[in-house]
Amino acid sequence: MEPRKVPPSADSGTPQIRSPELGGRNAKLSLNRLKRYAPFFALIALSLLIGAMNPRFFEFNNLIRVANSASIPLVLSLGMTFVILLGSIDLSVEGVLAIGAVLISLLVRNNGNGFDLGWSAVVLAILACSGIGFLNGAIHVGLRIPSFMVTLGMWFIGVGVATLILGGSTVRVLDKGIRSIALDRPMGFFPIAVWVALGALGITWVIERQTRIGRYIYAIGGGEDLAALSGIPVKRVKIIVFMIAGTLYGLGGLLSAAQLGQGNALIGSGRLFSTVTAVVVGGTALTGGEGGVLNTLVGVMIMAVLGNGMVLLGISPDVQQGVQGVLIIVAVALSLDRARLKIVK
Amino acid sequence: MDSVAVPFPIACQSSTAPELTSQQARFTNMNSPKQNIAATPIPRRTFIRRTAVFAGATVALSMVPRRASAAGTPTVVNSIRSLSNPYHATWNQGGQAFAKSIGADYVTLVTEGDSEKGIADIRAILAKTGGNMVLNVDPNDSPDARPIVDACVKAGAYVTTQWNKPADLHPWDFNPYYVAHIAFDGVHYGEDTANALIKAIGGSGGIVALGGILSNTPAIERKAGLEKALQANPNVKLLDFQVANWKSTEAFNIVSAWLTRFGDDIKGIWAANDDMAVGTLEALRGEKLNGKVPVTGIDGIKTAVEAVRAGEFAATVSWDPYWQGSMGLSIAYAAKIGKIDPAKEPKEHREFYGTGVLITKENADDFYKTHIESEPKIDFNDYWGRVTGQIRQS
Amino acid sequence: MLAVEHVSKAFAGVQALDDVNVEIGANEVVGLVGENGAGKSTLMRILAGVYSPDRGSLKLDGAQVLLKSPREANLNGIGIVFQEQSLLLNLTVGENIYLGQEAEFTRLGLVNRRRMNAAARRQLAKVEVDIDPDTRTSELSFAARQMVELAKALALEERTEKHLIILLDEPTSVLEQRDIEILFARVRALKRRASFVFVSHRLDEILALSDRIYVMKDGRVVGHMEAGSTTVPQLHQMMVGRDRHAEYYRESRQGPPREEIVMEARDLSVTGAYRKVDFVLHRGEVLGIAGVVGSGREELTRTLFGFVPQSSGTLLIDGHEVRLTVPSQAADHGVGYIPRERRTEGLVLSLPLAVNVTLSKLPTSRITGAIRLSREIQLAKSWVDKLHIRTPGVEALCLNLSGGNQQKVVLAKWMNARAHILILDHPTRGLDVGAKEEVYELIRDLSEEGVSIILTADTLEETIGLCHSILVMRDGKVTARFDASPGRKPSQVDLIQHMV
Repeated sequence: MEPRKVPPSADSGTPQIRSPELGGRNAKLSLNRLKRYAPFFALIALSLLIGAMNPRFFEFNNLIRVANSASIPLVLSLGMTFVILLGSIDLSVEGVLAIGAVLISLLVRNNGNGFDLGWSAVVLAILACSGIGFLNGAIHVGLRIPSFMVTLGMWFIGVGVATLILGGSTVRVLDKGIRSIALDRPMGFFPIAVWVALGALGITWVIERQTRIGRYIYAIGGGEDLAALSGIPVKRVKIIVFMIAGTLYGLGGLLSAAQLGQGNALIGSGRLFSTVTAVVVGGTALTGGEGGVLNTLVGVMIMAVLGNGMVLLGISPDVQQGVQGVLIIVAVALSLDRARLKIVK
Repeated sequence: MDSVAVPFPIACQSSTAPELTSQQARFTNMNSPKQNIAATPIPRRTFIRRTAVFAGATVALSMVPRRASAAGTPTVVNSIRSLSNPYHATWNQGGQAFAKSIGADYVTLVTEGDSEKGIADIRAILAKTGGNMVLNVDPNDSPDARPIVDACVKAGAYVTTQWNKPADLHPWDFNPYYVAHIAFDGVHYGEDTANALIKAIGGSGGIVALGGILSNTPAIERKAGLEKALQANPNVKLLDFQVANWKSTEAFNIVSAWLTRFGDDIKGIWAANDDMAVGTLEALRGEKLNGKVPVTGIDGIKTAVEAVRAGEFAATVSWDPYWQGSMGLSIAYAAKIGKIDPAKEPKEHREFYGTGVLITKENADDFYKTHIESEPKIDFNDYWGRVTGQIRQS
Repeated sequence: MLAVEHVSKAFAGVQALDDVNVEIGANEVVGLVGENGAGKSTLMRILAGVYSPDRGSLKLDGAQVLLKSPREANLNGIGIVFQEQSLLLNLTVGENIYLGQEAEFTRLGLVNRRRMNAAARRQLAKVEVDIDPDTRTSELSFAARQMVELAKALALEERTEKHLIILLDEPTSVLEQRDIEILFARVRALKRRASFVFVSHRLDEILALSDRIYVMKDGRVVGHMEAGSTTVPQLHQMMVGRDRHAEYYRESRQGPPREEIVMEARDLSVTGAYRKVDFVLHRGEVLGIAGVVGSGREELTRTLFGFVPQSSGTLLIDGHEVRLTVPSQAADHGVGYIPRERRTEGLVLSLPLAVNVTLSKLPTSRITGAIRLSREIQLAKSWVDKLHIRTPGVEALCLNLSGGNQQKVVLAKWMNARAHILILDHPTRGLDVGAKEEVYELIRDLSEEGVSIILTADTLEETIGLCHSILVMRDGKVTARFDASPGRKPSQVDLIQHMV
């Protein structure tokens, strides 16, 4: 190969490697750096724009409302983030969420049966959702079926089981404790649901940054075969990731039941699309290995701010969906280094 | 013959993502709007749905009764979207009750939002019963009604359609097998609930309104009813109209944003269905405004009726799916056994608007007792008692 | 210290290693040279635990060891720096160095990033580079990544009592001259803590860095000497080995090419890959392109089929100037490409033979545009007859065919599309001897019929035996041209001295 021209080294004598010189970074670097923060800047710009057009956007009460509407999407998207970082996908969100919400509604005090298990019902339901996540992962790696198909099936199974349990009806949650998650605002501040979502963010962030699982998620997403060669237990990591995702969907089920005060088989409907959208808009690549939970926070906030802002600005409903569509395409265009992709499908 | 010998085919993967065409949504908005994903069709989701349907088809067919009763009591069949929503679940109860009353085998077919599956399942059961059956169908999409009616006519089965059919397909062109088509007048009831809301806010002030999926006929009709009521009440101002795609969660977020934008100017909130109204109510509850800002919905689901009783909803409308599920069968059965001769019935008995019940504070308790706490009592021989006029030919 | 004893390894009937014996002593650099396909990479992968030998054994300090995975190789002190780099670009440098080893830094389930980075910095210091362990690997140049790989291999020191052996598999192929010198300086300095096995195509590098050299050819070790006692020409001679057997390549059937020029390149260049390449291709001519990996020949052939359009220069096909930006354009001009990776690039293995044959040019009805299925079957059958493809039928799936027959299906595909210029990219790779001979026969047939061929072959023997003329490339430039008419064929040494 022909030697390329190198800038003369600053120090002569023994060759010394410094990161800016030999370590020489790619020319496109600064642009790439900027790109990685693009979603964050977009969020700021979007907020400023909406605030400029309707100053009420920045009112304290509205910020609480935005945070509140972002809480469930955030919890769900955090679970999805890890799965997407692996380069997999999880379509079972709506099914798992439905099971979580229906189990909680039926096991706490409700208007359908005599159960009144209180918080232990919550624990049981969320454990059940972790179990479904475990099944997702175990079937995916055990039978080597693409995650797309496994979780697609689990989605339908989840909704189906929820339908069977309830016979198609809706059950109302009468448990004050559960309802307080959505209704109580400690210190007149965020509703508890928002704190729960922030807690989930904190925990997933620690998992991502500070644990081996987090490291391995990135390694697998960046190159599964290389990761395996480095002795990473790829299968186990994948199963754990799907379990974490299932747990978070179950938590989303709790928040949904608390928010709407009811459980039914269709309570999750429409959540899959918004969840994947938020993750991708935040800059996590569907190809895996790039992005993270903070990206997801930004993505969820973009969607929440946009939804709130479009109502505040009185944008016609006909236009709203178009705006969302444009946003998604722009986000994906920004997050992918398309030159690296050989084939687009 | 023993009744209800047949388990219902429960195909469980519903709820997901049917692409909606405008007419299909006629039924959707009834009570099951939760099933609708946004109006934009998303290819992957479509694909997903198709995949699901294969599984569903197998289940449903295997549940069809083994014995074909070519002579004797006909099999009675309800074909509906799914069993995952309260509306169709109640519809199904009505069907069961009717089948029991005549001692017939009862079969439920679910389309899961897939027209092809819906039609294929109907053809299969026609073949199985040799045409000795009556069918009450809520077609997944308007165009589906034609092949369904054709298949029934060919097999000699009696059929009633509800909600969806092409405008130029008329029961009187297929005597005697195509007995009747039943729908509900969205304009009428949209106006009724709007009037109830206006009454609740004392006849003046600002309101906001939530619509269903933009392209759905019922969304359009109900909105037209709302507008009619607003015209008649110039003191009431529509501050904003937003689309929440029939869903609670979307309604929740829109109402939150409205509270920022309009604050106390919002005196009442009109929603095109109960699910959105429930989302609205919960958003209000979070701000401790429940009961202070009246809400109306349409469909008459249990939660909504309870909210009316609690004074949090000003009104809702019940279509009485129990009646739809039973009387659709009863009318077709009456034609089959010769109790009525479709050819001799007037057109307003062949294509008619049914009667919805406007539920307000006054009648909510009674309605709850008769329709929710207990199975509704319906005179299966009162064929035309709820006819409110012939369907508009548009 | 590490001894490879009587190791053999075969892949799908091809003997990649045949009774190989190699020894690696403490604190020395062992050079490994050989042509493409001589077995160097296979040997390296066996040492690294990626492959297991079919026969023979590895002995470490006299005791037999089984390396069933790269991890086990690591535990025995063997690290590897691959030519295609094995760092994950989306992780930081520190994360890469300790990938799979985080347990050392984990307490209560939390990885202590600071401690890990400090340890990584220690490893980087061994190779004297100043890179922040928190840097994303994708932001580093190839040279810096190579250093990180070296540091990662050196981190083994802290995990094993064994003496370190680091395998360098063509580490210089992606580096610039200045960086190569730095790398060599580091390796020399590190000799006191480790032994190295060094593979390179560049013999001068091998001579400069190694203490001892093994020469491989066709899966065997054919020479072993002290680096000080040999020269580049001597190595050339050993790499080439035995003489050619003329008739093996059907040289008697090699007729002169026609006058007509079908393809011509003038000053063809692709930035960063090759520069100012000229050639003419006559009708019926077989033109060979020789060169080692990185010489630019792969990119050149890819340009001719539209994968990588030229950045400057002119390409003429049948007298018309063309710039091929996508393969379908090349196909429209009658150029066919038979890729080396026929499993992934040449055939859709999961489809029947007939569908593959007509993939590039479907028999369609002129009126409806629909595929005429009966015609497709008929076409496929005629090609099966013509090329003697051994298959149970034209409906057979290609994945059930043997390698040689798959190759013929690819050929049939292009012949069916009426290609008159074929680019053959290692057409005999992975084929057994019999299948190879059939391919040679086929090349002669095609040539006689007036099809022109551009050939990049697996071995120099093949290139010399099959071609009318040969272009030799090195470092992106054409370094020599040879007339290879029967009787005037150049020797392998003639070629190789212009290649490395």
